[in-house]
Amino acid sequence: MKERIESVKQNISEAFELPTDIIMDLPKLTLVGNIEVSLFNHKGIIEYTVETIRINTKCGIFKITGEKLEIKTILSEEIIIVGLIKNIEIIS
Amino acid sequence: MLAIKIWNYFKGYVIIRVEGLTLERLLNLAATYDIFLWDVKRLSSMVLEMKSTTKGFKEFKNIVKKVGCRIEIKEKVGFPFLVWKLKERKALLSGLLLFLILTFLLSSTIWKIDIQGNQQTPKEEIISFLKENNISVGNLKLRMDKESIKDILVEHYDYFSFVSVSIKGTKLIIEVKEQDLPPEKVDKSYPCHIVAKKKGVIVKIVPKNGKAVVEKGQIVSEGDTLIRGILNDESVDEQILVHAEGEVLALTRYSFVIRVPLIKTEEKYTGKIFIQKGIIIKDKGIKFLKGDIPFENYKEFIIEKPIINLGKYNIDFPIKTVSYEYREVELREVKQNIDFLKKTAQIEATKEINSQLPLNAKIQSKNTRHQIDENILTTQVIIETIEDIGRKQIIGNEED
Repeated sequence: MKERIESVKQNISEAFELPTDIIMDLPKLTLVGNIEVSLFNHKGIIEYTVETIRINTKCGIFKITGEKLEIKTILSEEIIIVGLIKNIEIIS
Repeated sequence: MLAIKIWNYFKGYVIIRVEGLTLERLLNLAATYDIFLWDVKRLSSMVLEMKSTTKGFKEFKNIVKKVGCRIEIKEKVGFPFLVWKLKERKALLSGLLLFLILTFLLSSTIWKIDIQGNQQTPKEEIISFLKENNISVGNLKLRMDKESIKDILVEHYDYFSFVSVSIKGTKLIIEVKEQDLPPEKVDKSYPCHIVAKKKGVIVKIVPKNGKAVVEKGQIVSEGDTLIRGILNDESVDEQILVHAEGEVLALTRYSFVIRVPLIKTEEKYTGKIFIQKGIIIKDKGIKFLKGDIPFENYKEFIIEKPIINLGKYNIDFPIKTVSYEYREVELREVKQNIDFLKKTAQIEATKEINSQLPLNAKIQSKNTRHQIDENILTTQVIIETIEDIGRKQIIGNEED
């Protein structure tokens, strides 16, 4: 049932050319070079160390690894991470 | 980003250290409570460092209690904290204020009065006269009224033809232009030179005091020193300043040129009129009946009439009707009598020179030259006179 609602949502967003991330409440990840990552629509931090940051989202856990990672800002909607980013992994 | 940083600086923020085990939960809670945190750094497995607004910090404390972490303020940054710190250090603050006030006060005071262009009036005299009128070094700039300084100077020294007063930084600059004074009027207690006030050939030089530096027959131009007020005493090897006096007669030349056209055009109305009408609202106008003016030579007359006449209430109604009248004129060329023109031109030029001549000048010779070039009559009248060309110039006042 839930999957069906999701697929209907996706079809609607495609039909009306609406942004999928807003309709389906999905996270949106923006990468600037390898120094800055901003993640919209997150569901909280799971782990934060200098090398690894794991962030919970609707479609799984985003795992960002790198060096000297810092959280530049953290808001209820948005997280901006700076540092030397090496790997971004989605675990779902 | 810079704007946000400046904004944060003015609002004031704190750098805090949090110690605990469930630091990620703390961050999530802070995000859900809408506490703005930035620059979160992990220092070790148990310690986080972050920045927070002062307002956010108070709310943050409550969450910290729930999670069970330890929190401490590492540093307070920003303008409100700076003010708070300064309140503690009253001496520093008062020193700072004193410095600002002093700087402002000193830079808005007149520290020097500079007088330029005076040649016959000693500087000291003008300065002491200004002092009597409450204008002296040490006064505030605000109290200096340039116009009134100008007025009192012009009123007191009636031979000043031009006075300009300006303030540059802390300097009051007064620029004067003097008319030539009769030599007797110049203050005799000041040493002076006698200089030429116009170009001429020296005929006779009689120094009464001072040393003549020009000879008979020498050509001098304006501003040249004729009688020096500085005497060199050979025995003492010292300079003595004197008030130079004497008579310097020189041959001077005055000339004046008048150009008159031989053919004069006369205008005469033919009686033909071309009228255009229009409306103007304030200054912008619309012309009706656009068409070319059918005359080659014409004069334009504009007659304005307000649509509603409110003249008796003293109101100028902004919408007006206008009629543009073009009246044709006929141009006629009239050739004039050359002999008559020559005579009138000569009389006019002589009159002009006479008005320039000083009273004690003796006329030596008078010459008139006529020349006709492309319908223009050029008349030049040259008058040579002998007159005293000396003018006193106080030593130390001349501009280098």
